[in-house]
Amino acid sequence: MPEPRTDYDDAVVRKFITATVLWGAVGMLVGVIIALQLAWFPANLGLPWTSFGRLRPLHTNAVIFAFAGNALFSGIYWSMQRLLKVRMFNDALSNFHFWGWQAIIVSAAVSLPMGWTSGKEYAELIWPIDLAIAVVWVAFAVNFFGTIAIRKVAHLYVSIWFYMSMVITITLLHVVNSLAVPVSLTKAYSVFPGITDALVQWWYGHNAVGFLLTTPFLGLMYYFMPRAANKPVYSYRLSIIHFWGLVFLYIWAGPHHLLYSALPDWAQTLGMVFSLMLLAPSWGGMLNGLLTLRGAWDRVRTDVVLKFFVVGITFYGMSTFEGPMMSIRAVNSLSHYTDWTIGHVHSGALGWVGFCTFGMLYWLVPRAWKKPLYSDTLATAHFWLGTIGIVLYVVAMWVSGITQGLMWRDINESGLLEYPNFVDTVTRLMPFYWIRLFGGLGYLVGVLLMAFNFIKTANGETAAAGSLEAANV
Amino acid sequence: MSKETDKILGHGADNDGIEEYDNPLPTWWLGLFYFTIAWGVLYAIDYHFVSHRSQAGEYDAEVAAALAALPQRPQVAAIAAPTPASAEAGKAVFETNCVACHGADLRGGVGPNLTDAEWIHGGTYADIQKTITEGVPAKGMITWGPILGAEKIAQVAAYVHGAGGGQ
Repeated sequence: MPEPRTDYDDAVVRKFITATVLWGAVGMLVGVIIALQLAWFPANLGLPWTSFGRLRPLHTNAVIFAFAGNALFSGIYWSMQRLLKVRMFNDALSNFHFWGWQAIIVSAAVSLPMGWTSGKEYAELIWPIDLAIAVVWVAFAVNFFGTIAIRKVAHLYVSIWFYMSMVITITLLHVVNSLAVPVSLTKAYSVFPGITDALVQWWYGHNAVGFLLTTPFLGLMYYFMPRAANKPVYSYRLSIIHFWGLVFLYIWAGPHHLLYSALPDWAQTLGMVFSLMLLAPSWGGMLNGLLTLRGAWDRVRTDVVLKFFVVGITFYGMSTFEGPMMSIRAVNSLSHYTDWTIGHVHSGALGWVGFCTFGMLYWLVPRAWKKPLYSDTLATAHFWLGTIGIVLYVVAMWVSGITQGLMWRDINESGLLEYPNFVDTVTRLMPFYWIRLFGGLGYLVGVLLMAFNFIKTANGETAAAGSLEAANV
Repeated sequence: MSKETDKILGHGADNDGIEEYDNPLPTWWLGLFYFTIAWGVLYAIDYHFVSHRSQAGEYDAEVAAALAALPQRPQVAAIAAPTPASAEAGKAVFETNCVACHGADLRGGVGPNLTDAEWIHGGTYADIQKTITEGVPAKGMITWGPILGAEKIAQVAAYVHGAGGGQ
């Protein structure tokens, strides 16, 4: 059983949680706005700052680095202090990390609508901000490894390995992909030429998904779900094998973003086969999560924390099956550049990243604030709104993406394109863009319910001693 | 693989209370892992060294297959001069493909006005067909040749030539 709390730094956890909920709502609101722009173009407002091309990177950066990033830091700062039985190495570094990260987010929210971009997907921020990211990230890394160095336990729990893979790999990815020669304050040219630049970019892009949105979230899952279910992890051996399988195989799979491009054939093959080999290690995480719940399934019906984790893990399993399939050359030639890709990333982002974050937060907020959750009913409403929202979103994008791909390649009997005008495909997809908008809107409303629930929780009565396992956290 | 033993490993005291079982890897999971590795190796060997496939080869094969399968496109005899019939047919082609840029009244918009007897790329019937066929990609007009085909281009050129005071 957990020992009584020592002097853990929970203030920084509460700050990261607050930022997670705030930026999550903002990032998803921007997502709903750009979904509306695709369905109804006047929502671009005819202004450069509010046009789709500038708001789309704002949306992706906000949900990846602001929402998911702050969620990771919340869970990592909470769990690693308890798993290592020691306060964070240095409080000043913790606070520098928090405020530095928020300053980077604010600078992104200004610079992207201004149109200042490096032109690299998921790495759009301009070079001065890239430098700031490197400094803040290294401060976090020093704090992280410093805490491991002064730990009071011999055994490093699986969550810590997953966190470590993130800290090391993101440093490498960000620094290498951002290498550029500045020509002005807002403009720099990548040091890599042509297809090499594209390969480095997708080595970065794919592994940002791998080492920011996958491995550390598996780390959170391995800590928060067994705690919430109060069950032993199904298999220590499986956790070791799938951890090393993931971190070894993920790093090679980036070229699957460049199938049927100027990339040499051998590199395309490499990206494809490593993506296929990723299937089993990815499913190892899903299995270990779901099998940990053996004997606790009756509680999934009533416990909102477990509900979110189960659906999150299930979407993880689905999108890690879909990903390898989409990396097969023949499938990719249909799916690439279509809305199918958008659907795929959202089953991962809304389903896996979002729902694991919500599951963690519904468990963590009452403990971090030491107050009982304001409303279980609202939390359950959030769960259903979110689930229905994801299904609408993903199904709409499957239908839209496959329709789009088939229309682009359709040749009539005289050898001409059946739909030579791009706009023919766009008008066909409009109904699905509206369905996607309503799915995303439902998901956003769920998040706003959660924000309201947490505000009421934080302002509510302090939990009585002994309830809520308050003594155990 | 042995069966689930649910044997507790005893790291719980170090893991903030989280215990771990020492259960074996699920057999089907391990089989899936080995299968994807074997398939990946065999696929790569076959693609590059046995079947000698390549992206360029795939393109050549598709083009060859298309040329063999598609009916020989009838050569449209070059229409020397616009006729009222072809201009009438060209109006429909214009309304489907051209109005977005040149306007329903041909007075322009994104693209130039076609009614003012000013011809940037030449105003003869042949010039207009050439401009449509090749497009003006630098200014955003796409290459319509492969999309419309020679016959429809001859028709729409007849319509534009007549409506715009062609030379």
